Amino acid sequence: MYQYNQIDQTLVDERVEQFRDQTRRYLTGELPEDEFSALRLMNGLYIQRQAPMLRVAVPYGLLSSTQMRKLAHVARTYDRGYGHFTTRTNIQFNWPELAAVPDILAELAQVQMHAIQTSGNCIRNTTTDPYAGVAESELEDPRPYCEIIRQWSTLHPEFAYLPRKFKIAVTGATEDRAASQVHDIGLQMVQNADGEIGFEVLVGGGLGRTPIIGKSIRKFLPKQHLLSYLDAILRVYNLKGRRDNKYKARIKILVEALGPDEFRRLVEEEWAHIRDGELTLTDAEIARAKSFFTLPDYDANAASADAHASLSDSLATDIEFNAWYRHNTLAHRVDGYRIAIVSLKPYLEAPGDITDSQMDAVADLADRYSFGETRATHHQNLVLTDVRKGDLYAVWQALAANNLARSNIGTLTDMIVCPGFDFCSLANARTLNISDQINEHFDDMDHLYDLGEIRLNMSGCINACAHHHVADIGILGVDKKGEDWYQISLGGSSKEDARLGKILGRSVPASDVAITVEKILAVYVDQRGEDESFAQVVQRVGIKPFKERVYATAH
Amino acid sequence: MPLLIDQRIVTEDPWQLLDQAALDEGSPIPENGPVAVPLIWYRQHREALQQRNSPLGVIVNGDDDLAALYADHSQLDLIAIEFPTFRDGRGFSIARQLVRSGFNRQIRALGHVSRDRLALMQSSGFNAFAINDERFQTDHLQAFSEISVNYQGTTADPRPVFRR
Ligand code: HEM
Ligand code: SF4
Repeated sequence: MYQYNQIDQTLVDERVEQFRDQTRRYLTGELPEDEFSALRLMNGLYIQRQAPMLRVAVPYGLLSSTQMRKLAHVARTYDRGYGHFTTRTNIQFNWPELAAVPDILAELAQVQMHAIQTSGNCIRNTTTDPYAGVAESELEDPRPYCEIIRQWSTLHPEFAYLPRKFKIAVTGATEDRAASQVHDIGLQMVQNADGEIGFEVLVGGGLGRTPIIGKSIRKFLPKQHLLSYLDAILRVYNLKGRRDNKYKARIKILVEALGPDEFRRLVEEEWAHIRDGELTLTDAEIARAKSFFTLPDYDANAASADAHASLSDSLATDIEFNAWYRHNTLAHRVDGYRIAIVSLKPYLEAPGDITDSQMDAVADLADRYSFGETRATHHQNLVLTDVRKGDLYAVWQALAANNLARSNIGTLTDMIVCPGFDFCSLANARTLNISDQINEHFDDMDHLYDLGEIRLNMSGCINACAHHHVADIGILGVDKKGEDWYQISLGGSSKEDARLGKILGRSVPASDVAITVEKILAVYVDQRGEDESFAQVVQRVGIKPFKERVYATAH
Repeated sequence: MPLLIDQRIVTEDPWQLLDQAALDEGSPIPENGPVAVPLIWYRQHREALQQRNSPLGVIVNGDDDLAALYADHSQLDLIAIEFPTFRDGRGFSIARQLVRSGFNRQIRALGHVSRDRLALMQSSGFNAFAINDERFQTDHLQAFSEISVNYQGTTADPRPVFRR
């Protein structure tokens, strides 16, 4: 993975001291509240319902075991022993003390981490495919480009006060696992007729109160122009994006208002000034970035007959392991290896939460079995990308001992859920109680397996932090005269066939969410053909049959 | 109002900046000395202003149409860019485009200018900063060197890190 050089390290170290001074000036009254607010947000610090909340950047989701142990240490020393992985592959701490935040940042800087631009109206952490580098259908590993974008966007002097937050996702495989079509900019690696690899550029995707799928403004951008093109998009947005109304300030609103053609024209006009200038990437720079993401030293004996036999044996004798293998591991590009997903969706725990000892356990497993690295995913899980088949049983046992091996990946209970009212001051409704309710209601794993792949996402308000619009089943908390109600939508997707879900009808009270989901699933079971997934059935039959079942008056 | 130019505190500011409100109230243009007026006003009174034979400047903000200014600023010695609020970052891009268009005289930040954005402003192309009295402290000069490295390049050295 990428290793900091002197410049990277100096930047985070000096940034810590800068923030320490800003915090001091704020606490002594020298720095006004509204300015400190913008400054602390650019350092990932929110003030929330319970306490400040600190969001730490995990660039494109990649963590070394040293970094993971440091996060465990931070959770243990400065927080209440846990952290929360978000859909943008960052980690949040819910209980730090404001005055201790500079010290936390200093600790993070020791392991090449920071909280820079994890919040605020600036360019946020760039996200990507959690299986980058090992995914079978990949054109090219997107991570070197993510790192190039990370550097360009970090403390960019011109783009620190954008109209609104700005999120970029990059994908390199045919499957889109980074929700790139619902990002401010989505970059998809593509090959042109000459066999060159470049990017298709999408802009103006986003969810929140105005959900919109991104529009393609350039079918093919040669790699060397990556930064100059991003620069042009950001400049047009910075100058023209709305600043009078924060709900209309995202780039998606600008793209909709101008139309994608006019927006493209403005970008291309701006780009013409800079396209062959200093930002043009050199071959040397691309090669340098790639040199940090070379293949690990795979074991040539990983696919040996012995390894195979030991795996088959464990699969045959241990049905729990067998279920985990089927649901939580995936094919790897290299023979003899599997991708193993660490479920952060244990029974009746907040989705995405992880304790300090669990983080330590994952770090140990990464060191022992997966070249010392872990990835965080958009679905709020972790991944050990390179596990030898012969080691899977040991990995599973260790995960199971740490409550990290629930075999529910891709199923109904592998939900994306935001913290909701329990932690978030913007929330309209609680979410964690509802995820518990759904877990209790659907606690039969065989039933879940029979239902197959289903994405359920739940947000506590229209800011849509949990991407409820692009789920098979989306749940949105709404406030009705002080009570929590939930609006359900069906048929969304954040994958390559990205589309927004359709609202089923009037919202349901908190007590009825799981039972409503059960009715929805019953319609699916009735209607499905052989091997037909929930998403396919919703696409084929539309939402009407679901609506009829859910709102049928009781006889 | 304290003024920083090229990272030094300047006590004598020869410029008189006349904002739209002052002009609307009928403030006369002084006969001599460098004067800056809002861009719109400059466009309406260009000839009269040029006849004064003193340095001229304009005051712009994010709502102005700046294409013509980028195309011709040969008569101007100062362009002041207004930051109407702390969170309004359009001025950064305007400075950047001005430098790119070849303007190499004074680019002054006006309005919501305070310590924590000075370095960003300088990197984007500003070389002068007008700071409100109540917010100014002499340690502001340190703000320019709080972060001594950058990835993107600056006006002084526009090469991004990978070209150095
Ligand atoms: C608890 C503190 C949090 C606060 C105050 C917060 C606030 C917000 C707000 C106001 C927006 C909407 C911005 C806009 O559309 O202009 C937003 C969007 C978003 N948040 Fe959060 N959030 C919080 C936690 C989280 C968590 C825990 C996650 C991940 C699970 C998350 C992921 C996202 C994502 C992905 C979006 C973008 C949605 C879109 O595409 O428009 N946030 N957040
Ligand atoms: S969706 Fe709403 S409730 Fe949930 S974290 Fe985001 S802002 Fe808070």
